[in-house]
Amino acid sequence: MLHLDPHNLLLQKTLAEAREAQLAGRPLTLDRIVSDFDYTTFHVSNAPEDKSMLWVSIRSKAYQTVASCGSTYQSYLKDKLEAYPGIQLSSQTEAAYDISLIVDLNKLTQEGVVYLSLLKVLVVSYPFHLAFEEFDRLSKIPVPVDEPPVLSDVLFNIKHRDNEQFFVKPSNDRVTVIFETIFEDETDKIFGKVFLQEFVDARKRNRNIQSSPQVLVSHEPPLEVQNFFNTHRQQAGSDSDQKKYITFVLFPRHFQTSELQFSTICHLALFRNYFHYHIKCSKAYMHSRMRYRVNTFVKVLNRAKLDDEDEEDAENKNGEQEHTRKTISGRKMVY
Amino acid sequence: MNLNPAVVMDNGTGLTKLGFAGNDSPSWIFPTAIATASPSGNKKTGSSATSSSVSGSGTNGSNGSSNPYFGNSTSATNFGGLTGGKMLLSNNLAGKRGTEDLDFYIGNEALVAAQSPSYSLSYPIRHGQVENWDHMERFWENSIFKYLRTEPEDHYFLLTEPPLNPPENREQVAEIFFESFNCAGLYIAVQAVLALAASWTSSKVIDRSLTGTVIDSGDGVTHVIPVAEGYVIGSAIKNIPIAGRDITEFIQSLLRERGEADTSLRTAERIKQEYCYVCPDIVKEFNKFDRQPEKFAQFIVESQEKTKQKVVDVGYERFLAPEIFFNPEIASSDYLTPLPTVVDQTIQACPIDVRKGLYNNIVLSGGSTMFKDFSRRLQRDMKSIVNARISQNEKMTGVKSSGVDVQVISHRKQRNAVWFGGSLLAQTAEFRGYCHTKRDYEEIGPEIVRNFSLFNVM
Repeated sequence: MLHLDPHNLLLQKTLAEAREAQLAGRPLTLDRIVSDFDYTTFHVSNAPEDKSMLWVSIRSKAYQTVASCGSTYQSYLKDKLEAYPGIQLSSQTEAAYDISLIVDLNKLTQEGVVYLSLLKVLVVSYPFHLAFEEFDRLSKIPVPVDEPPVLSDVLFNIKHRDNEQFFVKPSNDRVTVIFETIFEDETDKIFGKVFLQEFVDARKRNRNIQSSPQVLVSHEPPLEVQNFFNTHRQQAGSDSDQKKYITFVLFPRHFQTSELQFSTICHLALFRNYFHYHIKCSKAYMHSRMRYRVNTFVKVLNRAKLDDEDEEDAENKNGEQEHTRKTISGRKMVY
Repeated sequence: MNLNPAVVMDNGTGLTKLGFAGNDSPSWIFPTAIATASPSGNKKTGSSATSSSVSGSGTNGSNGSSNPYFGNSTSATNFGGLTGGKMLLSNNLAGKRGTEDLDFYIGNEALVAAQSPSYSLSYPIRHGQVENWDHMERFWENSIFKYLRTEPEDHYFLLTEPPLNPPENREQVAEIFFESFNCAGLYIAVQAVLALAASWTSSKVIDRSLTGTVIDSGDGVTHVIPVAEGYVIGSAIKNIPIAGRDITEFIQSLLRERGEADTSLRTAERIKQEYCYVCPDIVKEFNKFDRQPEKFAQFIVESQEKTKQKVVDVGYERFLAPEIFFNPEIASSDYLTPLPTVVDQTIQACPIDVRKGLYNNIVLSGGSTMFKDFSRRLQRDMKSIVNARISQNEKMTGVKSSGVDVQVISHRKQRNAVWFGGSLLAQTAEFRGYCHTKRDYEEIGPEIVRNFSLFNVM
């Protein structure tokens, strides 16, 4: 089906080619731009003096807000990124980019290439990571029976696009992820509405996916983020009434192990793109139906055409005015 | 501020080149092929409520494999990759009508998928023009999201079209790009013009003009296209039915005649790419080969199992194969006009005031012009034709001519010249100003793309 991979195919291909060329003794000269969703751009280039070293830089819209989520971001990135041999976080950052890595092609492994192509996900995974930690802390605090649960005031806000953002909110029994979304295009609005409704309903209807996170859609900011919007009223802008909020409720079963955590983050980080991709595919499908329908109409019209030449022939032969018409089956009507 | 690089897409008959402006080579090059699911029993487009309504919303839908949705999701399992596991299956929409339209592959994956009986392969572009818009739309959809990973709303697009593309086709493209994809901005450029722009990287080009003759030779057909100040002179375009595939077949026939160990088309193609070159004179070249046996090469065919190796001798075809451009009679019996003559005829069919510019700037583009010394030979042959005409003219009129300078330009980006030209132009700061934006489209409608302002000559 139309599944989007969390890793960047192009980045993977570029790095794999560079690695193979290096191992074969013919290092490539590279200076490439690779793009990804949500205003993310990678730049892959050779280190100035050594062709076996690659610079991989990333620029992402979300970087600013992700970095401001916590104070441990740099060390988190270092831990995450340098998990594979040959990858090193550079202390200098290339101009106009947010993070630069130095990749030693001689040491880079096959798995390292795949891992590097997940760079974008790794960069935005930080708030999720913090939220899961916060959840751990909160869940260990015993909950008094008669009192309301402990509410954390921790809320991570990531602006991943010009006028869209998402929130990650940990609490003692769940982690809530809220996407704010807006559609520029009128047609998209309709499609988006149908899809969002379907997101909500699918879980209710199908017993097989009961274990997936609960999805809620609302026009108003959900309670979890209401405070944020009250304090940032001016930010909401004039189009706030057209915004929709999609809430994913993650329960411990969605992030118990680190593998589960990572796959959850991958899915959530791609959610908006996946959603828009499907809207676009639906439109393409509608278009193909329209073309099909128009073609059948054209066929009907063509069948209804009068055969002019035959008419003239008939006139010439009989020498008198005679109306001949053909029915659909090709029979002539004479009257 | 939008810093996203523009996307450059060159959809050719055989290969599609995709990439980002500013790069020196396309990011993806794959066949313009799409493999669509051909479900047993019902036709793809006509599969309305007839067959799938049985497992419709009434039966709760979740009952296993009778639902067409589940059948498809298994046939495309390798989409799962890292995320594998559960897919959100919603049966309400899927149950009403099949989702075969979502089950397809493009490019190299399509060629692989087409080997199984459940997919059928098709090429949506014929002779440079889009034939099947349904397939093309899906091809674009997959190439934008899956391969380029771009949100079309954030990027400007540069597409290419063949010369003499009807304006209706442009409008169709605009409808798809603005209405399906909501792309930020669109520019549709003629391939020949981009090939001219790509030649600016050559050191021989001094003035960056958009006047010149483009010789575009791909796999299927060779075009000679005169361009004057950015406009294609449509009436003078000439086609030659000799291109890459004919050369490969010619090599294959030579190998067969000699009875080589391996005479497959693939081997012939590899020999063409690795050993062939253009010689100044065939007779001298034959003599040279006879005197210097080291000119004969050997090509080793690697078979699947590494133990067996076949050795194919490569002889005269090294220079004979590309020679069919200049002496077509050695390969075919029905097409006999050599390439230099066709180029000359093309230029002679153009308005007289641009002819000098056209002779002065003959630009090569496409994979079949990559042979060594191709440009030198073409330039020599063209010069002799032109000089013969000038001297005859001088004899008849008695007026001394100022002479015509013939120059054939060859450059390093020749193979993907069209794409590269697009990348060059789309990375300029002015590019966005030349594009039509989504807002323009909504204001005026699809006919807006009938006209694009030309890139200013820098």
